[in-house]
Amino acid sequence: MGPGPPDVTALERLLGLWLRAAERWRILATLGPFVPLLLLWWAVAAIELFPPAFFPGPLEVARRALELAWKGILGAYLEDSLIRLLVGAAAGIAVGLPLGLLLGLSDRAHRVLWPLVLFFQAIGDIAWLPILIVWFGFGLGTMTFVIVYTVMFPVLMNTALGVRSIPEVLPRAAASLGASRARILSEVVLPGALPNIITGLRNGLGFGWRALVAAEIIVGTSGIGFMMFDARRAGSVTEVVVGLAVLGIVWSIVDSWILAPLEKATGERWGLVAR
Amino acid sequence: MKELVVENLSKVYFDPRLGERVTALDGVSLRITPGEFVAVAGPSGCGKTTLLNLIAGFLEPTSGRILLDGREIDGPGPDRGVVFQSYALFPWKTVLENVAFGPRMRGLPRAECEARARRWLELVGLGHVANRYPRELSGGMQQRVGVVRALANEPEILLMDEPFAAVDAQTRMTLQEELARIFEERRPTIFFITHDVNEAVFLADRVLVLSKGRLREEIPVPIPRPRRWAALVENDSFKALVGRVLQAVRTA
Amino acid sequence: MRSANRSDGRDGLPAFFWAAAPFVVLILLWQLVVELFDVSPLVFPSVPAVLRAGLDGLADGSLAAHVGASLLRVATGTALAVLVAVPLGMAMGTQRGIAAFFTPLLRFFSVLAGIAWIPIATLWFGYGFGAIVFVIFNAVFFVVTYNTVLGVSTIPIELRRAAASLGAARLAIVREVLLPGALPNIVTGIRTGLGFAWRGLIAAEMIATSTGLGYMLFLARDFYRTEVIVLGMILVGAIWLALDRLLLAPLERRTIERWGLVRPT
Ligand SMILES: Nc1ncnc2c1ncn2[C@@H]1O[C@H](COP(=O)(O)OP(=O)(O)OP(=O)(O)O)[C@@H](O)[C@H]1O
Ligand SMILES: [Mg+2]
Repeated sequence: MGPGPPDVTALERLLGLWLRAAERWRILATLGPFVPLLLLWWAVAAIELFPPAFFPGPLEVARRALELAWKGILGAYLEDSLIRLLVGAAAGIAVGLPLGLLLGLSDRAHRVLWPLVLFFQAIGDIAWLPILIVWFGFGLGTMTFVIVYTVMFPVLMNTALGVRSIPEVLPRAAASLGASRARILSEVVLPGALPNIITGLRNGLGFGWRALVAAEIIVGTSGIGFMMFDARRAGSVTEVVVGLAVLGIVWSIVDSWILAPLEKATGERWGLVAR
Repeated sequence: MKELVVENLSKVYFDPRLGERVTALDGVSLRITPGEFVAVAGPSGCGKTTLLNLIAGFLEPTSGRILLDGREIDGPGPDRGVVFQSYALFPWKTVLENVAFGPRMRGLPRAECEARARRWLELVGLGHVANRYPRELSGGMQQRVGVVRALANEPEILLMDEPFAAVDAQTRMTLQEELARIFEERRPTIFFITHDVNEAVFLADRVLVLSKGRLREEIPVPIPRPRRWAALVENDSFKALVGRVLQAVRTA
Repeated sequence: MRSANRSDGRDGLPAFFWAAAPFVVLILLWQLVVELFDVSPLVFPSVPAVLRAGLDGLADGSLAAHVGASLLRVATGTALAVLVAVPLGMAMGTQRGIAAFFTPLLRFFSVLAGIAWIPIATLWFGYGFGAIVFVIFNAVFFVVTYNTVLGVSTIPIELRRAAASLGAARLAIVREVLLPGALPNIVTGIRTGLGFAWRGLIAAEMIATSTGLGYMLFLARDFYRTEVIVLGMILVGAIWLALDRLLLAPLERRTIERWGLVRPT
């Protein structure tokens, strides 16, 4: 006869509490790992392992962030960046989606254009900057072009992929049920490719966000990227870290609260995601 | 060959999500002599897998001891071969490489490992798929490879956790007969877990009935070998034994 | 929607032709437009001008120097990142609780991958090799760690147990089970990370150094040398395409195919 179950220790009780709480409030699971990271950061800064000017602590960064927010700079810059991203992304989708449909539906277009798509996608946003500056100067035109360019390719490529992966029987079935070409497009092709399109959108926005930051750093006159570059020029590591944190936090929120659920929902609804 | 002794074994899980403890095994003692085929039957959740995982060394007991040839076991080792319900074949290795894995880990020369693996594969009629990948095989064939992989490593005892539960009924009977044949020819020591009472009686020399973490009953199976389904389905003593074990599992 | 009937070789034309033809047409079109509309070389270069710039660069060795510098930085940063990320990811991935706990952290930093680190990299390391390698390291490291963790934690625990009960020691389990089991994810991670790194490299070189492709591009802008800019863009695209399509994509496909993609669950 074995001994009865030993008592649950305090540590185990704590673990249980954490796991149940994290399950109830998902946000806890997301934020949890940042606590030890922040503590570590704070500790490394506090013992001044590196000179404080080079390695500010979390409190200092938070204070600076609040200051910048209070002055309205942070909010204004963030707004600039997000509006640029939205406008650019909308334009990128408007170009990428029809092109993607074309490449998905027509074998001939696919054969001729696909290598070009691959090549121009490979050049990437950043390499366009110098010639864009020659054309548009430092400013909005350059930045918009970069974002449109960056968002367009993932949308285009994923749409084409999605359309091409629709089983051939589906449009045939629709046609034999008497659907017109336009109806087939709107009732079969678009819904069938939607999960891929959303994935492309998510990737595109992710790339676009990074490209925006790069563009703002190099040619910007406002925005979070510009703020970081400005801080760099002034030698303020604290403000650069504020920028980094804002970039990461904003994108994490957009991605995990809007884009990822959207992707999951479309994927699940169509039974493409196994889990 | 060595004797396996389990003494007063208990396992208490901590379920962190519920913040509770679950007693999966409660003071289990048993002894398996060399060359014996012992089956454990019992309802779902009674602790069968836990018992096997403890013997395999995948889990640490809360209390009690497991001795192989008088020495307490310490983690998994090649002296106890395991056959998993999910086959657990390495998907990136060919069938031959899977079977040769154990001998290779022992540092035998490559040629000898492969020769041995090939011999074992021939034995169960799988010589022709030696160079295929597991995913290219049917479930029944995969589990044959799983059994052969464990046997090719020449363990002291073979531990099998519902190995035939995932294949269709027809294949299951073939696999059971094949295992019976291998056992009759080579007399390995086998510890076999199942919730299929027919399977337990067909294969084992002795059936242990486990329920709620405790051993309830021990039923010897004095049916002579070789055992084949064709002869046993209508055999009265077989049917009687199945009835007895079923009764024990139900009432336990 | 198109079925598998698209075979490029069937009509007797090699796949190479179908890949090259659109570019030939594009180049002809480009030259035509430049000549027809008399485009100023300050706005867009002609094809011969770009060719000349390329030949000049080859002749005086500056092109090779820039490309070499860029590739060396990418190789160094990527190699360092993979060497740290894979063991770390494996160590984390084998502990399911730890892996789950730290995943949001890795995701957070993958989002920041690459470019966003340029300002702080230049503050910490000054302009030059160190800062750029740091940016590339960051671009690759978090993505590869994340993918390694993902790969290792999706390996069924039975595979590790099977190996252990067949006599595999700790190191052998890493070599025979964890590494091959996570390899498809690791390769995917490297491919994604390198994509970020290549962009980050070009951006960083525009700001923080005095050699490399990005620097070449940005310097040419100062002098309105559009032919050098366009040459640089073509090189950036061509090198990445070669790296991705000839090395990374086949590697990824091969590992995934060999592993059969279907993992026992
Ligand atoms: N890792 C674990 N943590 C907590 N509880 C567990 C764990 N593994 C098993 N248990 C619990 O221990 C008990 C015995 O489980 P076990 O898997 O050994 O049963 P089993 O007899 O093999 O069942 P089945 O026939 O369904 O395979 C069950 O109540 C189960 O819920
Ligand atoms: Mg079980």
